Amino acid sequence: MACFLVSAAAGVGVAAAKYIVKHHEKKNSLKVSEEPKEYKFGSEVKWSKKLAYLELVLFTGSFILAGEHMIHGEVVPFPPFLTAMSSPADATEMLHEMGTTGVLMLGLLVAAWAVGVLLVDFIKYRKHKKVEAKKLEEAK
Amino acid sequence: MYFLIALGLAILAAVLWFFFRDRKALHLDILAIIFGAAALMWFGDCIMSAAGGEPFISFDEVREFDGWISLWTFGGGIFLWVVLSFILNNRQKAKEVK
Repeated sequence: MACFLVSAAAGVGVAAAKYIVKHHEKKNSLKVSEEPKEYKFGSEVKWSKKLAYLELVLFTGSFILAGEHMIHGEVVPFPPFLTAMSSPADATEMLHEMGTTGVLMLGLLVAAWAVGVLLVDFIKYRKHKKVEAKKLEEAK
Repeated sequence: MYFLIALGLAILAAVLWFFFRDRKALHLDILAIIFGAAALMWFGDCIMSAAGGEPFISFDEVREFDGWISLWTFGGGIFLWVVLSFILNNRQKAKEVK
């Protein structure tokens, strides 16, 4: 009925978080430190970029599902926009669906994103370790 | 039904992304993410249907709007991909000019 709204709302939150993180990253990049930065797992890809991918996943998924709901007539272009809002019984059912199906969808999207981010970080970390090992061998 | 269509499109986009991975301006990763996200969301819907006693995926009845929704999934995904690619490529060009 309106399950896609959960992911869309989460997308708005992620977009806000992304801008805050981006601001902090910019601020930190301006600081000049004399010591060379130590390599940490997951530090190669910035968090703002990782959050941008989560934002993309949440918004695009919601967009496609919003279209499906429009075709089914559950979303209309005039107030109250959601046909389920016209009666209290339907509204209760809609909220129940948002709390079950909507939350499950959001969980699946976030889990898929987390797996993707971990995988990319792991691949970058392994590459870095290989380069480091090669450098050590050459130094010997 | 839509889940399978979105999944198929996501796999197709991922394969295209793999073969054209050097052509970054195409942004095929975004296309794969769009269809992958839609497929995952419908997968969640299928799980809830199965939990409610309905079949996970049914081919017995083709519902009234199945064709339109399939068309929308493909068209909406392509539309988003074109718009996002256009924005990202222009942003890249603007950075290069600076």
